Amino acid sequence: MEMRAERLIPSVTEKSRTDVLSDLKKRKRVVLVNKAMIGCLIIALVVWSWIGTNFNLSFLYTGFTNITKFIFTDLLPPDFRVIGRYINPALQTLYMSYVGMVISVILSIVLGFMAAKNTSFHPVLALISRSIITFIRAVPSIIIGMLLVVTLGLGPLAGTIALGIGGVGILGKAFADLLEGIDKGQVEAIRATGANWFQVMGQGVWPQFKPGFVAWSLYKMDLNIREAAVLGIIGAGGIGYTLQGNINLFQYKQASVGILMIFILILIVEFTTAKVREKIL
Amino acid sequence: MKQVKRSKDHLTKWIIRALAIFFFLFSLYKIGIIDQRILQAFSRAEHLVKGMFPPTLDEPIDIAGAAIESLQVAVMGTFWGIIFSIALAIFAAKNLSPHISISYLVKGFAAFVRAVPALIWALLFIIAVGLGPTPGILALAINSIGMLLKVYAEAIEEIDHGVIDAMRATGATKFQVIMQGILPSIMVIFVSWSVFRFDINLRYATVLGVVGAGGIGWELIRASRVMAYDQVMGVTLVIFGMILIAELITRYLQKRMDIVNLRASQ
Repeated sequence: MEMRAERLIPSVTEKSRTDVLSDLKKRKRVVLVNKAMIGCLIIALVVWSWIGTNFNLSFLYTGFTNITKFIFTDLLPPDFRVIGRYINPALQTLYMSYVGMVISVILSIVLGFMAAKNTSFHPVLALISRSIITFIRAVPSIIIGMLLVVTLGLGPLAGTIALGIGGVGILGKAFADLLEGIDKGQVEAIRATGANWFQVMGQGVWPQFKPGFVAWSLYKMDLNIREAAVLGIIGAGGIGYTLQGNINLFQYKQASVGILMIFILILIVEFTTAKVREKIL
Repeated sequence: MKQVKRSKDHLTKWIIRALAIFFFLFSLYKIGIIDQRILQAFSRAEHLVKGMFPPTLDEPIDIAGAAIESLQVAVMGTFWGIIFSIALAIFAAKNLSPHISISYLVKGFAAFVRAVPALIWALLFIIAVGLGPTPGILALAINSIGMLLKVYAEAIEEIDHGVIDAMRATGATKFQVIMQGILPSIMVIFVSWSVFRFDINLRYATVLGVVGAGGIGWELIRASRVMAYDQVMGVTLVIFGMILIAELITRYLQKRMDIVNLRASQ
């Protein structure tokens, strides 16, 4: 919006006043028509969904009163005697998300490197890599987890690999975009000194790539801990499995310990990644 | 002095690296990644892949209905999430809130709601309100509030006071200040985050069925329970298509908006 005002200023001094006013009105009308069209589209979409899901305003009231009642009567107070049963799954969730992150970083570097137009060996290879990344990004990792549970059996192994593969959707795209955005001049300058491929990568590409690489990888860790917490629901190991078990047996006071553990785990991981980011960058 | 500090920084980096590698190996050991199952997995994967191709849709009409339900759940979840976030953001933004303690209270609520994953909210809402699309809508709405409330409040807090003062100086009424000064400056952040949240919500809506909250995720679970992997693959492709099309449409609308704005300003 500020940009627009700046661009308008020179034209004001050039033209006569009445001209500017009518011009401004015309421009405002164009923007308004466009906004109205998109607005109508959104309203139509909401009305259609409202009818389609049989939504009723009273659901909001009953929904939120019910959940508050449920939280305060059934979930609280947490039964902390079962905390021992949750510690191992919580740690397992942590290991899963960490190994998952490392796997997706490795896969993403390879795929991202091939997907970026300026580092790829061939344009066709770039297109194929981009398509793989897009496909993985559009498939939720819980679905990948489901398929892997079938292949690898129940347990954290399936969840870990699901996180590793699922992460390629985000990290692969981020790395490819980062590589495409690096300054060519620096790379060319190093190549001009007669550096070999490894020296060009190490001295020209890596320093520019590193900040984004670290930030995105740590962000993936933040995401992984959330995903790992729910992967257990489909039997892929971690804290979600124990939580699901408690909920299925109506042991809500014990389940609330699990929810609290997930909450604490997420806070600890986010705090740690923030600290590491600070130290490395 | 500088030398000492630099070598210290260097040491910290090496410690972090060493810890990272150690923790990686420890985690590998704990997960049991070097397992016999990995070796057996190849034959099972082969079997699975053979079962998955060609992907089929057994009951295309049912699956289309489920996909539409997922889309509708995502729309409604985002819609209510936005409405509640706007209402609460007024109390959460420090410069609009009636009292600073209310601001902290609302922000704390948002932080808690955000930290609990959407699928767990769905699990809780299923217990509280029963099966069907409603728990999905409420779970997505409440999870959206956690994120949107934070960004909306920050957007309101970061309003440029110069713009408002300048408008007041021209003699604008309070209504005019809000319509011409405050709304335009927060609208950009507002729209882009809401659209981003819709993309996230659509992804969640497709998997909500896994916990029993309806939509296309349920079809997926049903197919995988009877081990009909060709159907699993078929439904996965439908989900893939849904998310991709939604992304393309929102990107197109955003681009169109930008182009119209740009043209109007030239």
